[in-house]
Amino acid sequence: MRHSVFITRDLRRTYGDGPTAVHALRGIELVVDEGELLVLVGPSGSGKSTLLNILGGLDRPTSGTVHFRDLDLGRAPERAVTEYRRRHIGFVFQFYNLIASLTARENVELVTDIADEPMSVDDALALVGLSDRADHFPAQLSGGEQQRVAIARAIAKRPAVLLCDEPTGALDVATGIRVLESILHINETVGTTTLLITHNTDIARLGDRVVHFGDGTIRRIDVNATRVAAQDLHW
Amino acid sequence: MKLTPLDRKSSRDLWRLKLQALAVALVLGCGIAIFVMATGMYDSLERARDAYYTRYRMADLEAALVRAPLAVGADLATIPGIAALELRSTGLGIASFAGSLEPLSVRIVSLPHDRAPRVDGLVLLRGRWPATDGRDEALINEAFAEANDLIPGKTLTVIVKGRRRTLRIVGIASSPEFVFAIAPGELLPEPERFGVLWLPNADASSWLDLDGAFNDVVVTLAPSANTDHVRTMLDRRLERLGGRGAIGRDRMLSARYLNDELGQLRTLARILPPVFLSVAVFLLNVTLTRLVVTERANIGLLKAFGYADRTVGWHYAQFALALCTLGAILGSVLGRFAGDYVASVYRAVYRLPVLEYAAGPEVYGGALAVSIVAALLGASSAVRNAVRVAPAIALAPPAPTTFGRLAASIERFGRALDPRARMVIRRIVRYPRRATTSVIGLGLALALLVMSGHFSAAAKDLIETNFGVAQRMDVTLTFAARQHPRVLHEVARLPGVLTVEPRTSPEVVLESTRHTRRDVVFGIEPDAQLDRIIDIDRHVVAPRTDGLILASGLAAKLEVDVGDRVRLRATDGRRSSAELPVAQVIRSFVGAAAYFDRERLVDALRENRIDGALLRIDPMHRRDLALRLKEIPAIAGVAFADRTERSLRKLFEQGAGFFSSVFLTFSMVMAGGVAYSAARVTFAEQQRDLATLRVLGFARSHVSGVLLGEVGALLFAALPVGLCLGALLSQWMMSRFETELFSFPYLFDSGAYGRAATVVIAAAAVALVWVRRDVDRLNLVAVLKSRE
Ligand SMILES: Nc1ncnc2c1ncn2[C@@H]1O[C@H](COP(=O)(O)OP(=O)(O)OP(=O)(O)O)[C@@H](O)[C@H]1O
Ligand SMILES: [Mg+2]
Repeated sequence: MRHSVFITRDLRRTYGDGPTAVHALRGIELVVDEGELLVLVGPSGSGKSTLLNILGGLDRPTSGTVHFRDLDLGRAPERAVTEYRRRHIGFVFQFYNLIASLTARENVELVTDIADEPMSVDDALALVGLSDRADHFPAQLSGGEQQRVAIARAIAKRPAVLLCDEPTGALDVATGIRVLESILHINETVGTTTLLITHNTDIARLGDRVVHFGDGTIRRIDVNATRVAAQDLHW
Repeated sequence: MKLTPLDRKSSRDLWRLKLQALAVALVLGCGIAIFVMATGMYDSLERARDAYYTRYRMADLEAALVRAPLAVGADLATIPGIAALELRSTGLGIASFAGSLEPLSVRIVSLPHDRAPRVDGLVLLRGRWPATDGRDEALINEAFAEANDLIPGKTLTVIVKGRRRTLRIVGIASSPEFVFAIAPGELLPEPERFGVLWLPNADASSWLDLDGAFNDVVVTLAPSANTDHVRTMLDRRLERLGGRGAIGRDRMLSARYLNDELGQLRTLARILPPVFLSVAVFLLNVTLTRLVVTERANIGLLKAFGYADRTVGWHYAQFALALCTLGAILGSVLGRFAGDYVASVYRAVYRLPVLEYAAGPEVYGGALAVSIVAALLGASSAVRNAVRVAPAIALAPPAPTTFGRLAASIERFGRALDPRARMVIRRIVRYPRRATTSVIGLGLALALLVMSGHFSAAAKDLIETNFGVAQRMDVTLTFAARQHPRVLHEVARLPGVLTVEPRTSPEVVLESTRHTRRDVVFGIEPDAQLDRIIDIDRHVVAPRTDGLILASGLAAKLEVDVGDRVRLRATDGRRSSAELPVAQVIRSFVGAAAYFDRERLVDALRENRIDGALLRIDPMHRRDLALRLKEIPAIAGVAFADRTERSLRKLFEQGAGFFSSVFLTFSMVMAGGVAYSAARVTFAEQQRDLATLRVLGFARSHVSGVLLGEVGALLFAALPVGLCLGALLSQWMMSRFETELFSFPYLFDSGAYGRAATVVIAAAAVALVWVRRDVDRLNLVAVLKSRE
């Protein structure tokens, strides 16, 4: 049987308190298996990003537990959480977050420098099809190219988990497909557990499972019998 | 008044950037404070001096002579241009009082019979005037009284002309003539060791062997009088009476000293504020430019809504004006209090009857005007940028800042560095103007500190060199009348005396083809050990037998150079004179003097006399010696070198101490302000990058490293800049502080540089720690959610 990567129990996250408190997550129960591609969908404000941030060690739950393998992410000290991010997690954001003063290669090096068993920078850029743009600065790259550099940066350290928050949100269809292809490619070849937030129901068909959010809770989880290939998508 | 949304935005911006705004306001405030303090103090001091001089009839000219019958006075009074004149008997004596360890020097000045002096009046501070026919009653000057705890009722034992008398102090007075009481031949006031005694004329004259005669005349001039003209007339009439040449205020010790002090204050008021103001302008510029850059989208939006360019520009100018007004108010208040404090320090040193710090409205108005100009200068480029933003910007997508590769050589070097170091280097190169600004700001703070450190170091060095290298005697004796050198044998027999050397320092008139000056010529023996000629580089200069050695200041006054001839005339009435070549011109260390081989000097003036003796003593016998010296009538002055040294140190500390601490505080504010502002801007611009680094798994300390790296690199670049700037500034300041009597050498004092650098680094470190807190609090989720 497959090992589980994340297990959450009655996970809650509340912003503020009193009458104005916002309950972003109200009791999430979720098990994420090793190597699977999990797609998170749901209306705006339903708590998708909040969950992803907690799983990625950027935020902490208000109550409930969340485990990455044996690590209790809710209670681990700050230092351990930083260490966790560094060793196990790759992030991809909607707005790329490349460092403008570093070239594509250097943005990736930023991660390989501190990782235990990174792949080579050239391999990482090759995986996203950007070998020839390695020495360009972010300002010299298109949005899609920037996002692919961000993906290369995220996977270069061979993370156990890749967390993607609307990676295609700022991109057009064709570029979006290239980016998704990169993510799928990595999930398949490297076996990286991948969580991907999207508003696009078409993209949801790429996943092994689709988690539907609503108002801070999981409404239902769909299992896709067959995953669709990225190039077959059209939206 | 209703606040428009833009006004509200202004005040929120100000609040959001409050610490950066405060840094600007503080730096500006420091400049304004120095301006208000120094300008106000200069005005107050000058006003107090002028009022005192006028009210108490400070002499315009003074002429000393050997002796003249009182009847000559009527003749002198006919010289056109003289408003009032006073004939006086004066002389030097040696004094002691119950409990005094060492003999003190005093100047006796006669008071006219039955009335206040018409020239050089007196302010009676305590006690009463001496009875006109009273004997043994004296007034003493305030500084001397305070330094030695002398009050009316106490007595002084005084020896003048070999006659010892006990005088009763009946009152304490001060006079414009002795705002600083400086002993003849000395360069600085030493109230512990030198005092002025005013005695009724009859009493003073008979004591000084001047019954029915006088030996000193002081005059005030009519407003329209030509000083040089009156001086010439006076000299001509007094010449055959042994006149030594009349001197103006520029040569009266007290007036001259006071003038030098005022000049230094004015230098301070002119040099320092611009330094602070320019740094404040830089800071303001950085802060505002950055604000406009981050707000490009908002500015575009405002314009898209229909706000006029002018309105938007004014919005940012307002921000600057608010800041600078705050700085001006802060600085004025601070300057006012500093002024009060400085006035209280000065009151202890300057014997002026009224010395209150008062800055007129023009000073505060000036401060405000200067601040507004600074605000407009600092805001101009930012406002221009804001005006230039096109409305379309608001709709354009955000683009990453463009960075370029650096020169190949730097890139190759960069390869060896980790990516964070590369971030730092590329950012500095990307914003060269801003980096330069920070480097200059930090450099200036450093330069100020170097300068203040240098000033105390120079003063300390002056004292140490003077007593350690040039004047190595333990005791200087001044004879009441000039003596034949054989008295040295008797001096050598005094208790504890190890070595004796003669002091030959006759006052002469030096004449070149164009100028005439009265000064002292020192006769130096070739093998002199105790009193030596030292040039500004601290080299011992051997006396010349083939001509005079002149200090460069004196040579310049006489307009002579090596090879020119100078005529030397004795001033003691004997009219002996000699013409001598100038053998050497040196930059002298202290004083503007002339030197000659002793033997040749004696020959030239045809009189083998000495003016005093220099002693090296056994400290064990110091007390015995002091006791003996008090009893010797032929001695008019005794100076123990260590006491002189101590009072000199005190004098420098009083002046330099306060200013050093002001410099220290203000420079720290400046360094901290610049570092904070640099770190803050870096942080604001890189917030996203720093958050990204954190997300990628870099620890807090690593992420702060980027910030530290940038500010550290700037600081590193600022160190050499600041040290060089400091050296230049010190040199320049020293030259501005140079007076005829003191030249401050430029000396490389590594301690001053080290201390200055440490202070600046510490101030920057505090600023960085402050900003680092922001890195630690970085809200990763929030930063990454937004575009920027
Ligand atoms: N820092 C915060 N303070 C207060 N409320 C917050 C904060 N961050 C998120 N929330 C609230 O938590 C809820 C969940 O937000 P979250 O970002 O997880 O939604 P989402 O599902 O990712 O939405 P979207 O699809 O629009 O990105 C929302 O109601 C949001 O307003
Ligand atoms: Mg979201």
